[in-house]
Amino acid sequence: MTKRKMYLRMVTAALLRRRSRMLIALLSIAIGATILAGLLTIYYDVPRQMGAQFRGYGANMLLLASEDASLTTTNAEEALKKIPEDKLIGASPYRYVRVDMTTRQQSFTAAGTEFEQVQKTSPYFKVEGEYPTGRHEVLVGKEIASTIGAKIGDIMELTYTPAAVKETAAETAEDELTDGAVLQGSALGWNDRIVKVSVTIGKDQKIESLTVDASEQTADIGGQCEQESFTEQYIGRKIPVAADEIDGISGATLTSQAVTEAVNHAHAAASEAQPQKVTFKVTGILDTGGDEETYVFMSMSDMGDLTGSAEQLDVMELSVSATQEELESYVSGITEEENQVKARLVKRVTNSEATVLAKLQALVFLVTVVVLLLTMICVSTTMTAVVSERRREIGLRKALGASDNSIRMEFLGEGMFLGLLGGLLGGIFGFIFAQVVSVNVFGSSITLQPLLLPLAVIVSMAIAGLSCLLPVKHAVAIDPALVLKGE
Amino acid sequence: MSLLELNNISKIYGDLHALDNVSIHVDKGEWVAIMGPSGSGKSTMMNIIGCMDKPSEGQVLLDGVDIAKQSSKKLTETRRDKIGLIFQQFHMVNYLTAVENIMVSQFYHSMPDEKEALEALERVGLRDRAHHLPSQLSGGEQQRVCVARALINHPEIILADEPTGNLDEANENIVLELFRQLHREGTTLIVVTHDPEVAEAAQRTIVLKNGRVAKEIINENFVE
Repeated sequence: MTKRKMYLRMVTAALLRRRSRMLIALLSIAIGATILAGLLTIYYDVPRQMGAQFRGYGANMLLLASEDASLTTTNAEEALKKIPEDKLIGASPYRYVRVDMTTRQQSFTAAGTEFEQVQKTSPYFKVEGEYPTGRHEVLVGKEIASTIGAKIGDIMELTYTPAAVKETAAETAEDELTDGAVLQGSALGWNDRIVKVSVTIGKDQKIESLTVDASEQTADIGGQCEQESFTEQYIGRKIPVAADEIDGISGATLTSQAVTEAVNHAHAAASEAQPQKVTFKVTGILDTGGDEETYVFMSMSDMGDLTGSAEQLDVMELSVSATQEELESYVSGITEEENQVKARLVKRVTNSEATVLAKLQALVFLVTVVVLLLTMICVSTTMTAVVSERRREIGLRKALGASDNSIRMEFLGEGMFLGLLGGLLGGIFGFIFAQVVSVNVFGSSITLQPLLLPLAVIVSMAIAGLSCLLPVKHAVAIDPALVLKGE
Repeated sequence: MSLLELNNISKIYGDLHALDNVSIHVDKGEWVAIMGPSGSGKSTMMNIIGCMDKPSEGQVLLDGVDIAKQSSKKLTETRRDKIGLIFQQFHMVNYLTAVENIMVSQFYHSMPDEKEALEALERVGLRDRAHHLPSQLSGGEQQRVCVARALINHPEIILADEPTGNLDEANENIVLELFRQLHREGTTLIVVTHDPEVAEAAQRTIVLKNGRVAKEIINENFVE
């Protein structure tokens, strides 16, 4: 048998065959290690846990258009790629326009957004009824709802008047168009099939040329509208063209009329001429306690139907679960690399988050240190008791020729072994402890830090070793002669 | 030359002369008993012979080496290598088995060797009790284990402190018989006792009184 084997045999025997004594020391180390491992797990998990909690209070980052540029769905999506997917909780686009409620002469703000994302970035939104899911459905702010007396299931018609129309209302709409502008338009002809036109505007806002695409019409009948003999009637006329100014092709009246309509449509669309009306169904009333109650919310595609563009955005609200430093790096990343988009933090949210986190972590750290100290005192006391209980045995060992170093090694070995065992137990129970705390306090489970187990073991062994230093010093000082005096 | 020579040693604690200019010689293979009442300096002398204490004055030659001036570390090595100790209260490590207790002595001396330790137990008639804890052994059995332990590293001197003080007569006889056997094999034995019967078993008895050698008795009736 080697010396090392005998050493291990003695140390383990000292622990295992003196169970009741050592159990107390083991218990104190294990409890210390449990609390240590538990608190460390929480310490590292707190930012994640609290981050998730804080994300409940709304967006912490905004995407806006840089100067001289506009924010669109496309460039916003591009900017989002700068944020890791697992950190991004939600990204809600918003476009705000003024709309009129046709029947009541009321005007208010309509917001286009994506409801699926809104529920992630603004989880505190309280909706009576349901979020819109289908086409042409709206969520009405509580304040508006009470003003206009809207209820769930009501139908409301909203009118959007483009800024261009308002500005030029006094002038002629034609002023909008420049010479040589090519306009596209379409209308429904025979059997509700489409007729497309391409109009070139020439001098004095008169039609310079016209190309008709009537390929969906019957070739020999409606198709004749493509011929120059028909289209030349439009040349030199001013838009809008009145229906009776054009001689229709006999047998293809519907197609002929559709060409005129398409020409007029082309002009109207080009100058965003006409106010758009869309009818919506109210699916829910929004209660937030904030400004949002004065808005009508609709999906981005409905906003597109109303305004002609589902691309343009005013702002995008992001909810990002990350540390202050990470957030700042995303902000600078987006602002520096994207030409049209800039990002900024919602300071009110991010600052308070950082402050609370720092305080919470400091508290957990403090408790950890106190627990470590208490564990050390407890282990040290137990080991001191163990040493005084074993004075005679130590004396015997020294009488048998044990050097001071052997005695030191044996007691430190016992302490370390206790530390190892206590650390293992503590690592396991600590995780369970952290899990229980996490579930009860934060309401979510914790991720296991695999490094924590070896850490708990090393720290426990170090603490057990440190705690043994003083008792071991006493053990070494014991006089071997005491075994001879028949004490 | 004697194996052990105490030349004019004194041990002084303040005004108290526990040992006062004592000289003793013990030859190799000799069996010597040291007797004396309490306070005679018996314990002090035993501590000095057992390399657990140093005299205030004088010379202690063990195997020709003066150990009186050795450092305590060196003294520990000397004790480990040259002295086998047997105690009145047996003193076993209570959580180790009989054989493990013997191996502890080997561990500090050189290498633990279970086979050799078992042979030592065999010699004291306790081979079948090898894996019992001290609490499962009788006093006599424990003392026999201690004898086996004292022998295991082949020391120059076996130093026994009241080896039968806690034993009944039957066990006392067993232990004394073991001593006789050791003596026949050439082991040097120094037995400290106040029991005349135990002292009579030795070849020579040194009687201490007030820190001095009062008399030396050669045992005429000594049986080899």
